[in-house]
Amino acid sequence: MKAMLLKRALQLVTVVWGVGTLTFILMRSLPGDMAYRIAASRYGQDNVDSNAAALVREELKLDQGALTAYWHWLTDLLQFKLGDSLVSGLPVMDTVQHMLGHSLMLAFAGLMVSVLIAVPLGLLSAWRGNPFDSILMSLSSVIRAMPVFVLGVLFILLFALHWNWFPVAGFGSPAHLVLPAVTLALSLAAVSNRVVRDSAKRTFAAAFYQFSKVKGLSAWQTFRQHGVRNIAVPVVAFFGIQLVSMIEGIVMIESLFSWPGIGHGLAHAIFARDIPVIQGAALVMGVLFVLLNTLVDVICLWIDPRGAKTV
Amino acid sequence: MTVLLKLTNVAVYVGDTCLLEPISLALNQGQPLTILGQTGSGKSLLAQAIMGLLPTDLSVSGDIEAFGKVMTIEERQALWGREMVMLPQEPWHSLDPLMKGIDQVKEVYQFVREKDPQEALAMAEEDLRHVGLAFNGHKRADELSGGMAQRLAIAAATAGGAHVILADEPTKGLDISRRDGIVQLLQARSNLGSLLTITHDVSVARQLGGLLLVMKEGRLVEQGEAAQVLDYPKDDYTRELIAAEPRAWQDMAPTMRKNDADDILIADNVRLERGGRTLFDGLSFSIKQGEVVGIVGDSGCGKSSLGDALLNLLPVSSGKLTRFNKTAQPHQWLKLYQDPPSAFSSSVTLGQLLDDVVDLHGIDKARISPLMDRLNLPEGILDRNCLAVSGGELQRFAILRALLLDPVFLFADEPTSRLDPITAKEVTGLLVELASEAGCAVLLVSHDMDLVRKTCHQVVSI
Repeated sequence: MKAMLLKRALQLVTVVWGVGTLTFILMRSLPGDMAYRIAASRYGQDNVDSNAAALVREELKLDQGALTAYWHWLTDLLQFKLGDSLVSGLPVMDTVQHMLGHSLMLAFAGLMVSVLIAVPLGLLSAWRGNPFDSILMSLSSVIRAMPVFVLGVLFILLFALHWNWFPVAGFGSPAHLVLPAVTLALSLAAVSNRVVRDSAKRTFAAAFYQFSKVKGLSAWQTFRQHGVRNIAVPVVAFFGIQLVSMIEGIVMIESLFSWPGIGHGLAHAIFARDIPVIQGAALVMGVLFVLLNTLVDVICLWIDPRGAKTV
Repeated sequence: MTVLLKLTNVAVYVGDTCLLEPISLALNQGQPLTILGQTGSGKSLLAQAIMGLLPTDLSVSGDIEAFGKVMTIEERQALWGREMVMLPQEPWHSLDPLMKGIDQVKEVYQFVREKDPQEALAMAEEDLRHVGLAFNGHKRADELSGGMAQRLAIAAATAGGAHVILADEPTKGLDISRRDGIVQLLQARSNLGSLLTITHDVSVARQLGGLLLVMKEGRLVEQGEAAQVLDYPKDDYTRELIAAEPRAWQDMAPTMRKNDADDILIADNVRLERGGRTLFDGLSFSIKQGEVVGIVGDSGCGKSSLGDALLNLLPVSSGKLTRFNKTAQPHQWLKLYQDPPSAFSSSVTLGQLLDDVVDLHGIDKARISPLMDRLNLPEGILDRNCLAVSGGELQRFAILRALLLDPVFLFADEPTSRLDPITAKEVTGLLVELASEAGCAVLLVSHDMDLVRKTCHQVVSI
């Protein structure tokens, strides 16, 4: 466990440096004059001329060499100075924190709802078998095959425009959270209910599961004593993967529902060449990636301590 | 004498095919009943049928009476743990892989006997002490040896108070010293009720005593008092089974062609370590060309590791291994694996696997056919893959593949421990006979002292 945590800490440093450097290189190799793009974002497309661009270039020292720029950036990074947004002038830390908070809220809400959908359906599917199993399988495939924005648009049309139950988009009240979270949850649960079902089916068929009943435990006692934990092993790992990959995949939902999250914000920052924000967001996402993975690993190790010595 | 279980014309079918022909038997209080026969003879189905554990695609006919009453499956399932219990064949798979051993006993006291948690734990501790696992309760199944796992399974199975115990191959894959312990434990646990054991091991049947039923291919061939049947078998099949027991084997060690054969390997004062633990130390022996050398010892003592070291697959920690016969290629120092199906790829046919070896080493194809005849391998198996042939056939095929390479040394790692006694005897005989004819030395690892004694020129104990 200790060795694993140490390894993860080292990974964290590498990720921070790697992601930072990569963003740096990519941003510098984007086509177009950076000064013009920043000026356009600041003053509006119509008010940009070469004077404005020159002013921006002067102010942000955009004409310095690549290596010097990299050096400046790296020393800033080592002091945790992420700088200010080039567009809004607000500190990057605050901007990222603001966006990330919203993203995480949506991601966790989506994941929780998906767990509430996937676990009971998966267990029921493993327990009852056909025809329920086949019906659920088809339904899962259909939902999975649909791009998530189609699902979202369907929900908007139905629940927001037709029935008027929830707001179409935006942020502010718990009601705003419902549609994006449910959309996200359904697309996640479409896959994870199958994982729950497969794991449960394997466990129910296992020799130790049968032996527990032969020992005299009732079906419910057997499920509680030997089912839950054994079923959970691959399921928890899978939920972990879903949560982690959601951090990058959430952008579609955020755009669709105008959710002020990090995916949405990052996309806008790239259009505007707002480099400090891009770097900050990419860095925080990289760090989050490692932290969430570590958390998932620790939980998995706690559920299934086999092989702990080899980790 | 109270009749605990009574079966009248019980048969098992899948669709219209009969897997187990009608059988009638009675299990009496205090008189163990043993069913003896080869794997695949339908014995396990019988135990599952009694418990009410058969897969749903199998159907049962006939009456199963327990404690003087004909019972439906549901009624018999209600007896599980409290009155009647079945011991699993593979204890490792029957124990929850994520739960500490002691908790798997404790839960039975807690939920079946409805004790409070502390009392249940104390009783479980007491049970583990009884089966010699006092200091191993905190371990999970993967940290236990096969014998320990089986003892834990017995403690867990009988904690609910069941006195009628059905044991399906309870000693499969265990060393002889462990096997006797398990049999005694089973006897002790069932002395208030009775024990129905299913086994292919004649010595287990002998040790258990009581009544004996001999089954072949789902059919009862002979029954009677165990001692009577085993000492004076009437049926040919029973005789064959008894003769297949290693201790009844004729001396099979092939005559060495010349006594002054050259050494091919000398081990001098060898010490071997695995994972920081010394397995053995100061081991010295020599192996001559064409000699059959047996290695015996308890499981986990380093028999297999020694074989791997001799093949140069593992480094020795100290001491010296000298291999002579420098002209031999590395592929002429070979290994025969314990579990044949896991030594073959199932995605291509056996014929393809053989052709690959022939092509790679430029072997004369004319040699294959006579060797296949000697090994009793029908041509037809070359069109099948490794899962579609029997374990015995597959192990003989493995011998064929090894011998085609003209090995100088063949390390056979428990080559027959997963086979039936009759098949095991046949395979072992062929192995030593053919290898010796080819002048190939054989290192035969086994946990069965009798088997080694009957087949080897030299025995090394670890």
